[in-house]
Amino acid sequence: MDYLKYVDGNSLLHKLDPRTKFMFFIVMAVLTSIVKSGVALLFLLVFFLVMWNVCGIQKYIFVLVKKLKVLLLFIFLLWFVLGLFEQPAVEGGPVFFQTFIGNGGMQICFDWYDFYKGFVYSLRIFLMIASFYTVLLTTNFSEIILGLQKWKISYALAFGIGLVFQIIPMIITELNAIMEAQSSRGLEIEKCSWVTKIKNYVTFSFPLLFRVISKGQAISLAMHYYQLNFSVHRTAYKNIKASKYDVYFILANAVAIAATIVLHIFFYIPV
Amino acid sequence: MEYKVNNISYKYTTDGPQVLKNVSFSIEQGKVTAIVGPSGCGKSTLVQIFSQVIPKLIGNGELEGSFDVPEGTFVSVVSQNPENQLFGYGVEDAIAFGLENIGMPQTEIVERMEYVLDLLKLQYLRKRSVDNLSGGQRQSVCIASVLAMKPDILIMDEPVSSLDPNGKKMVQDILGELRDSGNTTVIVDNNLVWSAGIVDHVVGILDGEVVFDGSRDEFFQNFELQEKLGVILPQEVEIYRALSVKVPDVKMFYNMDQARAELAGRTTAKTRAEKEAAAESFNPVIRVKDLVKQFSDGFIGLKQVNAQVPEGKIVAILGQNGSGKTTFVKHLNGLYKPTSGEVDYRGESILGKSVAQISKNIILVFQHPEHMLFEETVEKELTFCARMQGVDFTEENITEILTRYHLENEKENFPLNLSMGQKHMLTILSVLLSSADVILLDEPTLGMDGFLIGDLEKMVLELKKAGKTIIMISHEIPFVFRLADYTVILNHGEKVFEGTKEELVEREDIFDKINIEFPPVVRLSKELGLDEIVFDVDDFIAKVTES
Repeated sequence: MDYLKYVDGNSLLHKLDPRTKFMFFIVMAVLTSIVKSGVALLFLLVFFLVMWNVCGIQKYIFVLVKKLKVLLLFIFLLWFVLGLFEQPAVEGGPVFFQTFIGNGGMQICFDWYDFYKGFVYSLRIFLMIASFYTVLLTTNFSEIILGLQKWKISYALAFGIGLVFQIIPMIITELNAIMEAQSSRGLEIEKCSWVTKIKNYVTFSFPLLFRVISKGQAISLAMHYYQLNFSVHRTAYKNIKASKYDVYFILANAVAIAATIVLHIFFYIPV
Repeated sequence: MEYKVNNISYKYTTDGPQVLKNVSFSIEQGKVTAIVGPSGCGKSTLVQIFSQVIPKLIGNGELEGSFDVPEGTFVSVVSQNPENQLFGYGVEDAIAFGLENIGMPQTEIVERMEYVLDLLKLQYLRKRSVDNLSGGQRQSVCIASVLAMKPDILIMDEPVSSLDPNGKKMVQDILGELRDSGNTTVIVDNNLVWSAGIVDHVVGILDGEVVFDGSRDEFFQNFELQEKLGVILPQEVEIYRALSVKVPDVKMFYNMDQARAELAGRTTAKTRAEKEAAAESFNPVIRVKDLVKQFSDGFIGLKQVNAQVPEGKIVAILGQNGSGKTTFVKHLNGLYKPTSGEVDYRGESILGKSVAQISKNIILVFQHPEHMLFEETVEKELTFCARMQGVDFTEENITEILTRYHLENEKENFPLNLSMGQKHMLTILSVLLSSADVILLDEPTLGMDGFLIGDLEKMVLELKKAGKTIIMISHEIPFVFRLADYTVILNHGEKVFEGTKEELVEREDIFDKINIEFPPVVRLSKELGLDEIVFDVDDFIAKVTES
């Protein structure tokens, strides 16, 4: 299944003004940076799950989870291991194992909060990425450009950002095609060691680089054919404006954000 | 009125080779001009000069002469890959892009949008997203987006090279509409098969020089030059060319109606000889059993496909884009794992093996050479498969292959600097040293001129002679019928036919169903009542002249 690209649809999220979705991402990025309560983050996750299900994009989020699983596991383990070297900040949680190393008396303490800490940090990262991905899945690059322009961002920058979102799926498609082509010629990429797999990525990167350069050249030629000149005032065929759906979405988010903050205040554990 | 190409010479660098040498000709307003010539002859450079890419974007070359057009003349280009040219998510966004760039008021953009969508009969696509269009539809939208800007000259650079027969027909119809509405169009393509009926004027370029400048009919009668330029011609013209050598009074024809009229009185209908069933043994090298492929988004690519690939034969997989051809072929070399069903090679399942392991027996050459080439020299690229598979080869093997396929001077060169057709040929050549005895070729003629296609045909026949099995996907129907022994036809993921090409030509309903036409020699064999249906021009001429 495709990932990192817009998915055509007619859901509530698809109908929103792109600016509303940009704001959603910014607010969620700030919120997940601040909130460190497991309960509050779980509530936010449930809110997201409901939103994804209502809008029918849950299967694409599932693909994202699969792609992120190594990163999330790494974050979990990192904070889990760091937690082992710290005394539990809150008393009362079960301690599974405790010992001292060396003469200096470094303490290793394996307690319930080590799991909690790993879980909270990986969930925060996941929610932050997922909020961006939600916007990406439901906003096509033409809407991204229009939305950014409405925020008075210069057309050159807005077009550049929109173009990145147009090109990313192309690059992923190209990389997959190159991997398929090379393995079809006898390059082992399935039944081999991790070291060989990494070496193979170097092999793939060369034709990928050339494909990207050649696509870049083709796109710049096309810009010339279409007389794209950032110093000329552009007009717009389509307009974007907020609708009742934006109001519903903002209200739902406001309630969810308020509830998250309340839960954070009441259930925060300073680990 | 005419646009004058006035004595243009060009070098990309001061000390580089002369790419164009005193090129002069005229482009007549309201007419369709075709610029033809082999790969690397300078056609693309000329497009860059016409569209001002040289010197505006590429300014370090040496340009002499001029393209004389009235001030403010706007030249735009439709390239061969519409996905690199369409900006915007939806069809309307893509069409409006150029108009927004020139600052056109919204009301006028709306008018232009309606104008092009009506002109090109594309209203039904206007609410679709570009990503979901077929190749032909994308190219049509690309033409619409350029046409909306009302260019004085529209250049189409190999616009149908990657399209299936439906896509080609769509672009062909649009080109007809453009000519009827008085647009000035320049087609840069060495393949005149799809545009023969529409082109008015032909300019032939060889080694950067104009070697022909005249009408289409004059060009079609200049056999020596056609050969020299490696132009791919409609099979009707090939028939005329071969026939006129034997029958001097034959009148020029370049389409089916004219061919039918010209040949009708020259042949007598005979009863078709009942051919005895071939006594050849059918020894399948690959068996596909109840193959089903459902992708993770729910799309069913293949529906219960059963097929067998006979050993030592040339097998063509036919169907329109989206019919499941590539999905089918990717199951044969293990790139795709079936949702259910089996793929056996010599009676043993290939499931569970890696693609690299399977490649020792079944090897796939992709249609875009840039996905495959990554070594620093042509020689290393040629030996890549053999090295991966641990197959021995000698320096003599390398020299022999490169010499036979005219790449001996490129041995130490960087593969990506070759022409598109040469790059494609190199990726195909690289499987010659592998251990595989089944070779899958996906669109092997892509980017090739007439010379390279001739070499490819020879190579495929030699591989067959050596006992190898060739499976190919190709939209070039005359090429397929010349070479193939056996065909598998897919339509919307279902197998609708499997059998020899002799059996296939008896099933017109199948080709009607997939909306592909038999090659002219087959149709004429039937319509003229020849005693045997033939598949290539030489056999056809022999039959016509003997009757």
